[in-house]
Parts: sequence; structure tokens; C-alpha cells
Amino acid sequence: MIGAVTFLPLRRSETVLRPPGATPDFPARCIRCGRCAEACPYDSIRFLGIASGILVHTPYIDPLQTPCYLCQERGHDGKNRPVSKFLRCGEVCPTGALQRIVNDKETLSMVPKRLKSGTAVLDRRLCLAWQYNFCGECYFNCPLKDKAILACPPGVHTVAGGIRPYVDPVYCIGCGMCTYVCPVRKNVAESVMLRDMKPNFFEERYGALVHKLLVRSGDLVNLPAIRVTGKSY
Amino acid sequence: MRRLCQISVLAILIGVPVYSQNPNNWSPSLIIHGHLPPPTMSRVTGDTWSFAIGDFHLTHPVAFVENLLSTKEFYLPLFISVLIPLSITLFFGRVFCSWLCPIGFLLELTMKVNSIFRRRMDLTYEVRIRDFRYVILTLLLLYGFIFAFPMVSIFDPPHVLGRELIYLFTHQQLSLSGTVLLLLIIFFEIFFTPRAWCRSFCPSGGGLSLLGIKRLWRIRINPQNCISCKKCDGACPYGLTPSNLAAHKGFAWAMCDNCGLCRDICPTGAISYSYTLKSHQAAQMR
Repeated sequence: MIGAVTFLPLRRSETVLRPPGATPDFPARCIRCGRCAEACPYDSIRFLGIASGILVHTPYIDPLQTPCYLCQERGHDGKNRPVSKFLRCGEVCPTGALQRIVNDKETLSMVPKRLKSGTAVLDRRLCLAWQYNFCGECYFNCPLKDKAILACPPGVHTVAGGIRPYVDPVYCIGCGMCTYVCPVRKNVAESVMLRDMKPNFFEERYGALVHKLLVRSGDLVNLPAIRVTGKSY
Repeated sequence: MRRLCQISVLAILIGVPVYSQNPNNWSPSLIIHGHLPPPTMSRVTGDTWSFAIGDFHLTHPVAFVENLLSTKEFYLPLFISVLIPLSITLFFGRVFCSWLCPIGFLLELTMKVNSIFRRRMDLTYEVRIRDFRYVILTLLLLYGFIFAFPMVSIFDPPHVLGRELIYLFTHQQLSLSGTVLLLLIIFFEIFFTPRAWCRSFCPSGGGLSLLGIKRLWRIRINPQNCISCKKCDGACPYGLTPSNLAAHKGFAWAMCDNCGLCRDICPTGAISYSYTLKSHQAAQMR
């Protein structure tokens, strides 16, 4: 990037999860046209509000509400298919703030680090799979399964196919699907105590265990167990 | 014809977010059963700031300029996409404001409301505001140049309207800054002076004025037909005087957006548009 000086008068302390393909000088290049949100097939892309200062109206992804599906659709055979040739947000971006990324599994897993949204970080003390051997949703639902998230750390074998999720930061693109499906959340833990509401399958399956885990670990933890750290602008 | 263009732009602004929104409400428990939501994709994206049908992109000239200034880098696809709007602006002047701008359309409607208020309630506020557009545009572009942050899009009402519609239909929310800006503009238009934003504050309109200052497509008066009824002066939304082309000095005629209201109201058909290389003053001298 030739001479693109990015100087932020208001630097936010927390990280922002940008759409995939965001260049390092993203705020300078983004003209806030909002077309990435329109093009996104799943409406995952949201916009920062006035509270974030002059980064207002720049796109971000909130994986707790809608993760980035990496422009995949589920076919009738249960396998993922790309919906377009490139990732849609990079395809429509007029200024190159979001670079075009070819939408196949090999390219997506080998995206250079400066174009990644972020990297998932797993907290093993909060993970149901590591603590109770009862989960593994992040592994099963990862769009780059067996590359970005492994069933167990490399060189380790678990007995009887138990899952010990391990994030490989080389391949992880930071889509946030693992954050979305991670059951270790406040509302899932609280669902076991609400008698008048019928819990859905997700809460029925994990609610009791997550409640137990959160009572044990206390309140001062960052939920969910697997979180995506984005970029600092 | 002009109304048709404005209404179709407004229809595109509303229709594209409605079409491209994903109405499915999905939850993690559906994902872990193996169901992904069905994707909704539209080939047409964007609003007046930046628009695309498939791979055919169009960009607002001011967006191109501010991107050039803030990145200090020449991005070829953006330049190709700006070519058509830029050449239209260079030849025809600020026609975006009169033919396409949805806010201009809304403000033309509020002008009628404003005139009703004036007649009924004897509102006599007529605030004369000087032309601050170039100052605001320069400040915003300087800010973008120094701090590498493009800022003009936050103060460009047609784009703000398009973006609010995107928010509204895709995420069922509105942004604070955009809504406040739009409401302030419309409130000011209705109760104080009509077309104040277009005349005095709009930074992107100012940019288009500057680009179209040497335009070739200008109004001209045939002095044989003119009966000096001065109806055209009253019709001009920007307070220009088409009856006396030499009255305004310097930048003032850059404000004309070739809307054609003065030509439509002229009883004798003395006002016409034509290609001319001369400025308005020179045309009048002749």
C-alpha cells in the first residue's frame, strides 16, 4: 500500500471484526457506500454506529447475531456449495477496501494474514468438549472443517473419537461461525431456569451443562468459549 | 421525464434493499441440525453514492475524489466506474441534483408544503444563507486527506437516505446520525427557507458544481422572444435570475443544475438549452 497513512484520532480499544478481505488500510479506502451489506447473501454485515466515532458506517460482522457464512449454501446432499465465484462483499466493493477472494475451500483457507477478518481463540477452561467431552459444535460447523479447526491438537490422539477442538491460526479466516454455534453463552445457561419457556433443541441439549460450567467458573469470564478477535480499527 | 427519473431512483433505493434482504431468522439450533439459511443475492446493489449492476459499476465523482485524497493511491477500477458520471457532470453540469437526487425530489415536494405554510400561517422567515458548500467540501476533503478518513458520505443526504433504507430493510434499525441529519434538513426546509441544503450546505452538490463549472450545456435566452415577465426568476429553486444572465458574478452560475424549471415556465419559449463554449456573462454581452 503506497503511502496510505492511517492515523486514527479516536482509536477504539476493542477489536472490530471486518468482512473477509479487508485490507490493512481499510478505513481510508472504505467510502461507506454500504454495498457489501446489500450484497451479503445472509445479511451478516452490519454497520458501526455513531458511538464508534469517525469509524461510523463502516461495515463489521457481529458473530453472536449473524456469522459470516463465507458465501456457502447447503445443498440437498448436505454439503456446502459456494454461491458465487468470489466472496460477495469483496466482489462488489468499488474501492478495493475489501479485496476479492476466490470462493473455494483451498483459497479461503490460505488467505494471507493481512486480508483475514480475524482469528478464533479457544478458551479451554470454558470449552464443554475439553471439560466434559460433550460438544464439538465448532468443529462440526466450521466452514473450513479439518483445516481451521481440528478435531484434536496435532500429534494428540483421543480415545473413542472424542473431540478436542483446536484452532489452527494459519488456516482460520475468522468467519465467526464457531462463535455463533458455541453453546457456552449466558442465555443458554439461563434457559434451564426459565420454567415458562420451552427451550429449543440447542438449549435443551447444552443448557444444564453450560449452567454448571458457568457456576463453576464464575462471572468474570469472556463468553462464549471460542471467540474471534478481529482487527483494531 | 425529470420526475420519472427521480421516482425511479427512489424506487431503486427502496427496491434493492427489499429484494436483497434475507428474511430468514436463523438460530444456532438450526445450524447444528445442518440447515443453513437460503441465500438471497441481488445483482443490483448500491445507491446514488455507488451503484452496480453485475460488474458494471458507477461511482459518484465526489466519492472518487475523496477516495483519491484519502488513500493517496490511484485505483483503476474506481476510475473506470467514475468515467460516465464524471463526463456527464463535465458536459451537462450538476444534473445529478436535478434529475437523480432523491433528496432533491423530496425537497421539491416539501417546497410545496412550505408554500402552503407561508400562505396559511404567515411565516415570513426567509433566512438568507451564503453559499457554504465549497467551504464544507474543502474542510471534509482536507480532513480525509490528513487523517485518511473519507467523511463526505456522512453528509451526503441522498446516500444517507439510501443507507438508512438498507439499515431499515436488512437489519430493521436506523442509524442515529443519518436519521437526525435527514430530519433536520426536512424540518429546516418546511419551516424556514426552501432548498437551503442544496443552496448552501450540500458538500457533494458543491463538488459537482465545481466539476461542472466549465460545462457546455447551458441555458440561453433569445432576446427577441423575451417579454421581461421575470417569471423565470421566481421559478428558479436556487434564487438565480435567468432573466439577467450577467447579474451573477463568478461562481454563482455554477449552482445552476439545468433542471429546466425556468424553461418550462417561460410563456414565450425564449429560454432554451444549447451547447455553448461561452460563459453566461459572455452569452449575455453578445
